[in-house]
Amino acid sequence: MNSRSTAPDVLAPAPQDVASRAADAGSRADPQRVLADRVEQLYSQMPIGILVTLVIGAIATYELWDTRTRDLVLFWWGLVLLVTAARAALYLGYRAATNKLAEARQWLRWLAISALANGANWGFAGAVFFPSHTDEQQVFLAFLLAGIASAGIPTYAASWPMFAMYSGAIVMPFTYVLANFGNRLFAEIALLVPLFYFVNVGIAYRLNQVFFSGYRLRHAYGRLTEDYTALNKRLEQQLVELEEARRQVEASGRKLALFAERAPIAVLELDAGGHVQRINHTAENLFGWSSQELADRNASVKILVRPEYHAEFDEQWRQLMASRTPLAHLRIRNPRRDGIELVCEWNVTPLVNPDGAVVGVIAQGQDITRQMEAEKLKKEFTSTLSHELRTPLTSIIGSLQLINSGVLGDVDKEVAELTGVAERNGQRLLDLINDILDIEKIESGNLTMVPEVIALDELVDEALVLNEGFAERFHVRLEKRGALLSTRVSADRKRLLQVMTNLLSNAAKFSPGGGAVEVAMEDLGERVRVSVLDRGPGIPENFRARIFGRFAQADSSLTRQKGGTGLGLAICKRLLELMDGHIAFADREGGGTVFYFDLPKQAA
Amino acid sequence: MPAHPLQRVCYVEDDEDIQKIVRMSLERVGKMTVAVVGDPHVAVDVMHAFKPELVMLDWMMPGMDGPTLYRKMKEIPVICDLPVVFITAKASQKELDELRALGAAGTISKPFSPKDLPGQLQAIWKSLP
Repeated sequence: MNSRSTAPDVLAPAPQDVASRAADAGSRADPQRVLADRVEQLYSQMPIGILVTLVIGAIATYELWDTRTRDLVLFWWGLVLLVTAARAALYLGYRAATNKLAEARQWLRWLAISALANGANWGFAGAVFFPSHTDEQQVFLAFLLAGIASAGIPTYAASWPMFAMYSGAIVMPFTYVLANFGNRLFAEIALLVPLFYFVNVGIAYRLNQVFFSGYRLRHAYGRLTEDYTALNKRLEQQLVELEEARRQVEASGRKLALFAERAPIAVLELDAGGHVQRINHTAENLFGWSSQELADRNASVKILVRPEYHAEFDEQWRQLMASRTPLAHLRIRNPRRDGIELVCEWNVTPLVNPDGAVVGVIAQGQDITRQMEAEKLKKEFTSTLSHELRTPLTSIIGSLQLINSGVLGDVDKEVAELTGVAERNGQRLLDLINDILDIEKIESGNLTMVPEVIALDELVDEALVLNEGFAERFHVRLEKRGALLSTRVSADRKRLLQVMTNLLSNAAKFSPGGGAVEVAMEDLGERVRVSVLDRGPGIPENFRARIFGRFAQADSSLTRQKGGTGLGLAICKRLLELMDGHIAFADREGGGTVFYFDLPKQAA
Repeated sequence: MPAHPLQRVCYVEDDEDIQKIVRMSLERVGKMTVAVVGDPHVAVDVMHAFKPELVMLDWMMPGMDGPTLYRKMKEIPVICDLPVVFITAKASQKELDELRALGAAGTISKPFSPKDLPGQLQAIWKSLP
């Protein structure tokens, strides 16, 4: 998606690119390539050249043949065949070569040598055979040499120096022979031949230039064509990608629209002025307005807000426009079209364009009217339960306590035993109700802490005194280990006592009879730690992970034996967390367990 | 701090069982004299006749709850000076704080231990100015 979105940026500079390439087309031809092309052109002429050499050589051999010069003619013919064979080998070598481009200059050099050798052959013929033969044969030779020399122009058109060498090798010895023949006519011809030679070289040069620029143009054009092809390919590919991106955007747009349309929550699309652009089905059903109706009326979203809250709404809207950040969990009372009021929870998201301007707002709302009612009912239920259960328990436990205290006179031993059982279990039931209410309050966020700065050592002392009686029932002593540190903490006094009571009573319950539960305080720098140490059986391995969970007890038979609800540690953990504290436990050296909690210290 | 221990207590409570327990607790354990009122509407008359040193009010009662009765007491001469302790099974800390701010002498939460109740009341009594 990302790479596609940048596609137009890549496309944009391309036309300029093309223009600049066209402008310097001439200079763009690679000289090495031009050279290689010229070499190729020169070599392509070789087969014809070789054929012509053999044919004309054979005719010349035949014409010049006579007994006097037989050996010399044979020698010459042998030379022609040798050079021609070498040229043929060179030609075949070039054709088989694989790296013609890089080695172009090398091939050119070899060709120049072969051209020189070829030209020298004919020069040799002119110089040796002209003086020794008859007039007719002289005419034949002169005609032959002129033809051979001028045939070099097209053959070596791609390299004028090569023509100059080749032609020079033919003409120079011949001119020398003519000049020294002793004949005035031949001397005049000897003067003209170099003139023709230079004119021919001049023509070859011009022809060469034409070839040269032709090759350069061809290359530049080839380059341009390549560039255009590459550009076209790129454009084509980018078009395909753009098209694909468009399809994807369209598809996700459709998906999004579908999500909004079918979502079980109300979705409102608003413009920056708060006017309703569109609402989804759920919103239509919820509020009784159709999307079309609201859009046609250019209705403000305030149609879904009670008039007395309009000022407040305007203020919130202004803040939303200023902050441009989404708002979550806004609870708003929304009147339906028929006037019935709903409570909805809204998530409001401003849509911001790249310039930072708000172009619209998406509001997603959930009808929580029933949920609120349920919460209220639950609260009422808990509250009623708390009162209705505690009132009879007060009577039951109170009565039993009065009987068991002995103020009403002695009772039979067996009756006393039973009233003892009844009182203990009544108390247990009460503890359970209290713990459940506590957990419920903590988890619903309804527990309000009353933090105050308290002396932790005094609170620990108080907890020891309060729980002495309970520990005695298990024949366990509560003792301080070392002196308590005089430290202040910020905590809810009643709740922290509850935590201490829980830890001390747990420790007492699980300690062996006749033993002691120890309490120690430790300075941790920023925090202070209170530890409760027992010599109980320790925490079973499989229970450790869920010891702070709800209704957690290692062994349900222990519940009957020792009492307790299995909620105590869960409550302790949550209460301490509300006081910025932390609870944990560890094995005690020599057997038993240490439960400890720490709290941040409060400056005195 | 009052010169003598608390002796006369008036208790307004609609639940007859709890009435009995509190009466026994205060009389037998606390050795106090107790007047129990079941109907909050006649409570003020009983207080006039009994002349308690301290009044205990139940928080929740049908007809008239403790806080309402408390506010009514505040409007009546002599009665308005009586220290009042609330007995409550449910009250948010906020509500308790409000009542203390109004001048309630103390609160005792339900369920209470009848063994400890006289001690708790004496402690509140001692802390009075």
